[in-house]
Amino acid sequence: MKCTFTPSICSYCGTGCGVLFETIDGRLNSTIPMKSHPVSQGKLCIKGWNLHEHINSPMRLQKPMVKTFGRFINTSWDEAIQITADRFREIIDQYGPDSLGVLVSAKMSNEENYLAQKLARAVFGTNNVDHCARL
Amino acid sequence: MKKKVKKWLEDGTVDLFLGYKIDCGHPLPHCFTREELDDVDHLVVGETRYSLEKIATHLAKKDPNLKIGLLARDCNQRAINVLTIWHQLDKEKIFPLNVNCCPSPIKPQADCSYMSGETAASYKLQVGIDNAMDIESADAFSDREKNIRWMYEFQKCIKCYGCRNICPVCFCAECTLEHKDLIGPGRLPPQVPIFHLVRASHMVGRCIDCGLCEDACPMDIPLRLLYRKVNTITMDIFDYNTGESCEQSPLSLLGDKVTLSLKPM
Ligand code: SF4
Ligand code: SF4
Ligand code: SF4
Ligand code: SF4
Repeated sequence: MKCTFTPSICSYCGTGCGVLFETIDGRLNSTIPMKSHPVSQGKLCIKGWNLHEHINSPMRLQKPMVKTFGRFINTSWDEAIQITADRFREIIDQYGPDSLGVLVSAKMSNEENYLAQKLARAVFGTNNVDHCARL
Repeated sequence: MKKKVKKWLEDGTVDLFLGYKIDCGHPLPHCFTREELDDVDHLVVGETRYSLEKIATHLAKKDPNLKIGLLARDCNQRAINVLTIWHQLDKEKIFPLNVNCCPSPIKPQADCSYMSGETAASYKLQVGIDNAMDIESADAFSDREKNIRWMYEFQKCIKCYGCRNICPVCFCAECTLEHKDLIGPGRLPPQVPIFHLVRASHMVGRCIDCGLCEDACPMDIPLRLLYRKVNTITMDIFDYNTGESCEQSPLSLLGDKVTLSLKPM
């Protein structure tokens, strides 16, 4: 029996509460608030308390899927990315780059947000970048 | 202490030992094993307090034959007793290593002040209940004022279920607080005061006054005081101190024979 505790940060909102993941034999078993965390001081909201739930959910998508004729079909990452890029190209060619927008998150890292805006500005050619905390 | 833990692990007294270790600068719970014996040198008692016995119940659920050692402050020890009563832990398979800690009605002398709490701000003092209040002064308000003050506290609740989730003695497979016909989950605003009173009624003869719930409450509701009050019932009328022994509370609604099985995961 192996039991580990992994400190982490709740990914559900910009507050960034400290959590501990209790893992038993490689399976995420529960989320515990991190007592000594400077932000949350051992408190969590209901979302933070249930962080582990979706990870073990059988409903969770684990492979990329493409919607073809109204049905989702499993595919490879390469193909999924290629299809996405092709569709973006089509939209940009037809309606112009400002027909696209990128919605990022207050809870992503700075680096991820930077990459997302880079994709929007340098690749799509649009300034339409916004994030969930402004919705 | 470290020597003893090492010896326990080596001679097979326990299969694993739950304690604390500094990780990323924080004292976090850690599971020490025979395979990584040198790790025991990093065992600390630590200022923070987690419900190690609740973690032990999770482990016991996976493997009921597992022998688990754990650092036990007074509150952990009381919780182990209550969990034994409710068949969530097997006393024969639990090896507490006692460390000194905070004062409680059962143990007035102790040297940890972790639960001494913060001073309430002036608005809370005026309209609510000071978390540091004792039962007598909280009882001294008139009925009307008591009602208003407690309702002020309860209506702050965000229904995070933190008080139940963190509580070492809350383990029911089906919790009333999530039963769709009683207090369904997801319904907001929370049903006050019934949410808190239902929980309080369950804590009679069960709450071991560890204060973890109040500690985890984002809204600073004086939960520990509330449960202390309900526990004076068993203390005054039945002379039963919850957690002091492995004897069932005289106020058990389920009768003499506890038939609860381990909660399925
Ligand atoms: S626990 Fe709640 S408040 Fe804290 S980061 Fe997660 S979602 Fe935000
Ligand atoms: S003080 Fe709170 S967390 Fe501790 S046993 Fe009582 S109800 Fe549970
Ligand atoms: S004791 Fe009450 S509040 Fe606690 S888990 Fe059981 S039903 Fe829920
Ligand atoms: S921890 Fe506090 S806010 Fe959360 S459900 Fe319990 S009483 Fe309400």
